[in-house]
Amino acid sequence: MFIGVLSLSAQDKDSLDFRFDKVNGLEEVVVTGQINPQSVNKSVFEVKVINRETIDRLAANNLADILNQQLNINIIPNASTGKSGVQLFGLDAQYFKILVDNIPLISDEGFGNNADLTQINLDDIERIEIVEGSMGVQYGANAVSGIINIITKKDAQSEWEITPYIQEESVGDEYNFSDEGRHIQSVKIAHNIDNNWFAQISATRNDFKGRFGEKQGQNHQQNDSLRGYEWLPKLQSNYKAMIRFNGEHTSAFYKLEWFDETVNRFSESVFTNYNPSTQTTNPTTNDEIFKSRRLFHHFNLNTKIFKKSNLNVSASFQEQKRDVEEFTYRIKTGKKENIRKNEFESRQAVFSRGNLSNFLNYEKFDLQVGYELNLIDGFSSPMSNPLQSEPVDRTLNNYDVFATSKYQFSDQFSIRPGVRALFSNQFDPLMAVSLSSKYLFNNGIEARAVVGSSPRTPSYDELFTYFVNINHDVRGNENLKPEQGFSSFLHFKKTFWSEDYKLKIKPKLSFWYLDVSDRIELTIVNPSPLAYQFSNIDKFQSIGTSLTTNLEYNNFSGNIGLSLTGISKVLDSQENSNDDFLYGLQANSSLSYRIPKLDITSSIFFKYNGPQYQFVQQQDEAGETVLSRGKQDGFALMDASFRKRLIDNKLDLTFGIRNVLDIDRVNTTAVEGGAHNGPPSSLLLAYGRSYFIKLLYQFKF
Amino acid sequence: MKQLKITLQVFLFITLLISCDSDDDSVSQNEMVVAFENASTSFSAEDDQKTINLVFSSPATENGSLVLDWNSTNSVYGEDFTTIPEATNNSFTLEFNAGDEGASFEINKLQNPIEGEEKSVEFDILEVNHSNSIAGGNTTMEVDFTGAAAASGNISPDVGGPNQPNQVYVDLSGQNSTANSREAWDLAFYQGEEFRVKLNGSLFMATAELDETDITAVTSADVASLQSQVAVGTFNPTNMAYVDAPSGEISETAIAEISDIAEDNKVYLLNLGDAVGTATPQPGSVEVSGDPRGWKKIRILKDGNNYILQHADLDDTEFQEISISNSGSKSFEYVSLSNNSTVEVTQNMSWDLQFTTFTNEIEGAGSYGFSDFIVNNRLENVSAYSVETAEITFDDFSAEDILDNEFSTDQRAIGSTWRVGGGPNSSPTLKENLFFVLKDSDENIYKIRFTALTDENGVRGFPEFEYKKLN
Repeated sequence: MFIGVLSLSAQDKDSLDFRFDKVNGLEEVVVTGQINPQSVNKSVFEVKVINRETIDRLAANNLADILNQQLNINIIPNASTGKSGVQLFGLDAQYFKILVDNIPLISDEGFGNNADLTQINLDDIERIEIVEGSMGVQYGANAVSGIINIITKKDAQSEWEITPYIQEESVGDEYNFSDEGRHIQSVKIAHNIDNNWFAQISATRNDFKGRFGEKQGQNHQQNDSLRGYEWLPKLQSNYKAMIRFNGEHTSAFYKLEWFDETVNRFSESVFTNYNPSTQTTNPTTNDEIFKSRRLFHHFNLNTKIFKKSNLNVSASFQEQKRDVEEFTYRIKTGKKENIRKNEFESRQAVFSRGNLSNFLNYEKFDLQVGYELNLIDGFSSPMSNPLQSEPVDRTLNNYDVFATSKYQFSDQFSIRPGVRALFSNQFDPLMAVSLSSKYLFNNGIEARAVVGSSPRTPSYDELFTYFVNINHDVRGNENLKPEQGFSSFLHFKKTFWSEDYKLKIKPKLSFWYLDVSDRIELTIVNPSPLAYQFSNIDKFQSIGTSLTTNLEYNNFSGNIGLSLTGISKVLDSQENSNDDFLYGLQANSSLSYRIPKLDITSSIFFKYNGPQYQFVQQQDEAGETVLSRGKQDGFALMDASFRKRLIDNKLDLTFGIRNVLDIDRVNTTAVEGGAHNGPPSSLLLAYGRSYFIKLLYQFKF
Repeated sequence: MKQLKITLQVFLFITLLISCDSDDDSVSQNEMVVAFENASTSFSAEDDQKTINLVFSSPATENGSLVLDWNSTNSVYGEDFTTIPEATNNSFTLEFNAGDEGASFEINKLQNPIEGEEKSVEFDILEVNHSNSIAGGNTTMEVDFTGAAAASGNISPDVGGPNQPNQVYVDLSGQNSTANSREAWDLAFYQGEEFRVKLNGSLFMATAELDETDITAVTSADVASLQSQVAVGTFNPTNMAYVDAPSGEISETAIAEISDIAEDNKVYLLNLGDAVGTATPQPGSVEVSGDPRGWKKIRILKDGNNYILQHADLDDTEFQEISISNSGSKSFEYVSLSNNSTVEVTQNMSWDLQFTTFTNEIEGAGSYGFSDFIVNNRLENVSAYSVETAEITFDDFSAEDILDNEFSTDQRAIGSTWRVGGGPNSSPTLKENLFFVLKDSDENIYKIRFTALTDENGVRGFPEFEYKKLN
């Protein structure tokens, strides 16, 4: 693994460690979708890797900070809930699965999918692997647009490593020690007990004080929509513990994680309670405090049986619960009255996956068979969905079996077919298939073709909405079947070196096609009286191409990427629809330069999201409903940082600017208005230019 | 040196760890303000006793008392009026307890004034015996004995919370309101020149004329295909034919004018709408429609100066009949089908405003059920219009600012415009940048400001408003 090719000046051990990731960049090892851990080059899948160095240079404190800079990915923040979802190829977080050490991570509303990216802290992360495309064979349902696999760090260089850090961030131009900005404190203790045993614990507290913007905070007394925050304050705590055994033929680890989050939602509307008799006001509001708690256990065993065969078994129990405390807040006295505490929504999952590989004695043929078990218990209160009248308590059990094989025709050509059968207590049995192949041309071009499929299971809203009154009839549909996602990708890659081997250029060209059939949409099932129901009716298609290039030259390294994605929606659920492809352009670039004498690494990350188009229904001047092409303006996100190591590389200092271009909202005409309100004219995306400083110290002994 | 640096770092780390959590938002608590609920009231010739309320801006924190006195105009204590509690030396004391939100006393009128004579008494808060409290706002209260229209008032119509079970009739000049269950009646028979019958739109009723004239001949099978359309909120614009004109125009009722010729009066399919909801919604939401109340067939005939109402369940071969006289008084007689009788609804009051759920129209989408609706009494020529506070504030608005040609007799002149609509994720709120000007049937002109849509906990169906006479 330690293949040192770059011409580095000899350094002591610490700085070799420092460069480890960079060196490793040449032979990055990935585990996502692999039978055995593989180097990126050998992997049949096209795996994008974000290494620790990149995470550190961005001083990213959650997954949203990192994914913001990735090509094809859009982060959709919701200022009014404080959550951030991921959008890939125009498909939202329901279609995207997030895994930690190869197993899905629970969230308020899903198991693996529907994750709130701001709830995923990156402190113990070694690297992040991203695979685009449907991965149903490898990861089951809801891995339609792609997956992220977060690999945690499970080793340390010294016998003891104690790493405290603090990070102070401004939130836009707001910062102070008491009620503005972001304040992070963390400590991690890692210990190599002996040659076989390793243990690590960590604690992180992330106190986001919210952003006021135009708003006036909690104690504003007028009903002028200025009460509260533009971005909700949020306090997160994360505690993790891990113990690992590493033997000759067996390795195992157990991870325990506790996460809790408190989000205060301050109501914008104020009841002034003006009393005309006394001419006094006694303003009150309906506020809410959300508390999310996540408990995560993961046990993994990796062992050799029958001499050669490899058995890998994971078992996990996870639970995430979101409670809400609703109350009347009396602004003048600060008193809470009429307090109601309820469970808002929750998920509980028992998970196990096991697979056996290398049990056939063929040099060119490798087979992996395995099972996956998901027992998911979900609860959703009517408060979590304004169109739901009864609480929902539901169990979804999945029992999957899968097999993938790899056949190496030659050094140049290999294929990897796979199949998974998904059985569940709620839906008819489903099938997911995949076929990947890799061909290495003589001129050094690597070509990969990857096709895959994955279903998406219907959400609770789609199944259980029930909103029927004198004016409305909107219903869920318990007979919905899962949507079917299918994707195919083509990748070409080649590495070029300059004659003196100082310059390395690694371009990659990709093409893809992705479709979702039986797509679930709210459909008019009866025009008069008007009635809506969720149905499997529509079709979604996405095509695209991207060109990315990695560059390395002396102390420079960087990458540049360009992608064009077209999206077409066949909306049989609507009277008016247009299934033309609408194209969006994205570009990203990162540049890093190590100033040799000062030993400062400076980095710039840039991502451009071009205008996005969507067909929207609007009323024209004659009052007729017409379809027009709405546009969300393009915008660019740029982050910059400077990192320096001091005191024998023990003190790590990072200073940076997030959102250098000071973006907060973009104009849009690509959103339809609701029945009771017009369409919004802009989307809130970020909170403007912010500054951060991170101080990390590593005690090693 | 190196050790020092490390120590410094650790120290900095710990200080920051400790210093990051200090929220200190102290809000000063205001004093308790005591005021008369209304600044004035008026005895009509029929009234002989009134309760005068005093209100506190916040509940009393201890036991206390108020001392009141008065200045009178042509009125003598013991001859023209008395109070309970009894007054001595031109003043009396009202005791209250910790937790009380107000106090009250009674005033009795002993004799009616002679026509043309001014007779009134103005009460005044002399002392407030309670810590941290003052008299403020309405510190005086004028009681008029001559029956003049009330000069101002504050009214909290008893709509009844988020199910909005009541229709509340409000008379501004009389400073009173009366609440009735909106399920009390089904049909209202006009007492004017035309023979017209109105549906109870607050229950979202609808009706369709059939071809039949024999009520016993209609069966549910005959109307089955029609039923899904004869309803409110179907989002079919043609459904406006099945409901009364939301404007309140009496000549545009869903049921055609009752004809002298019996054969012209067809049988109607009657959708009784929805019962008052019973579920308790989230604060800010309403649950006004409950279970469907079913279907009837009806036929209305004319017999001299009387209406004859025939009604039956859809498949009944017999029917019930009730006769309702038309007194020509321009108001309505209300009929309950289940009781097969007329019922008292408005208590014969001359009302200006009605708080009710309402069948309105959304342009292009047909009939639509509204909550928190306010209707002005079109048939009594009560008219109104709205004024934006950006143009002139409520306090500054005076008689000179009245624009006579702005008054609208459409009964939706206030309607739902006093609140902001809300949507699936937001609740309606009070529109605070708007107030209204209303002219009653006696040409009294009032300015009206709504001060609440909800109670203090944000629960809908607790409206409040204040008004002041301008002329």
